[in-house]
Amino acid sequence: MLSSVPESDTVIVADLEAGIGTLTRLPEASVQSTLVVVEPTPRSIDVGQRAALVATERHQGHITIVANKVADEDDVNRVRDSFAEFDVVAVPEDRVMITADRQGASPVDVDPDAPAVKAIGEIAMKMIAAQ
Amino acid sequence: MKIAVVGKGGSGKTSVSGVLARSLARGGHSVVGLDCDTNPNLGLSLGVGDLETERLLSLRDQIDEGEQEHAHTWDDILEAYGTDSPDGVRLTVVNRIDNPEPD
Repeated sequence: MLSSVPESDTVIVADLEAGIGTLTRLPEASVQSTLVVVEPTPRSIDVGQRAALVATERHQGHITIVANKVADEDDVNRVRDSFAEFDVVAVPEDRVMITADRQGASPVDVDPDAPAVKAIGEIAMKMIAAQ
Repeated sequence: MKIAVVGKGGSGKTSVSGVLARSLARGGHSVVGLDCDTNPNLGLSLGVGDLETERLLSLRDQIDEGEQEHAHTWDDILEAYGTDSPDGVRLTVVNRIDNPEPD
């Protein structure tokens, strides 16, 4: 489906299934950018490493690792050390994300100035600038 | 530009997808959120709410069960099986299976 979406000025943000299943089935070079979201935990990093490998092998555009829910610099470094050859950006652990999840709401509507929301906003602007 | 967002279940990838899409739209870009997850919740992270998210999922179920006709073009899919989120992000759901396997 994603590979058949026509190219246009519209930005498509595709939330793929958890794990790497969709990524392994996605035709080569279907996207211009891949965000691999990982928590600073061994299991999450392991899945993220496999996802980054598949995305690289299948030429799924520029790959950015999002170190999500990081509590401190040690968390960020744990992710950086595991993805040495990739761009790593950090999104801080933020109560707003939990609150939004519990309310079934968008974090943007709960608090647009929350640190995590602002960090993801900066990722968005960087992606557009790098286009 | 097409952006794929991947990660282990529970990593926060859907929240990241939703905030990313809203941020891009607030920056003046035309944005479509494409929910390809087997447990589709992008609608909640985009801010369309429970009822509208469920309505979209029901539409997908009706297509899967042959009760609704497939749309044949991308524009038709967005029109027939999409909804508008805050900040103008158009959302559509392209996959749903019940009881997805844990990653």
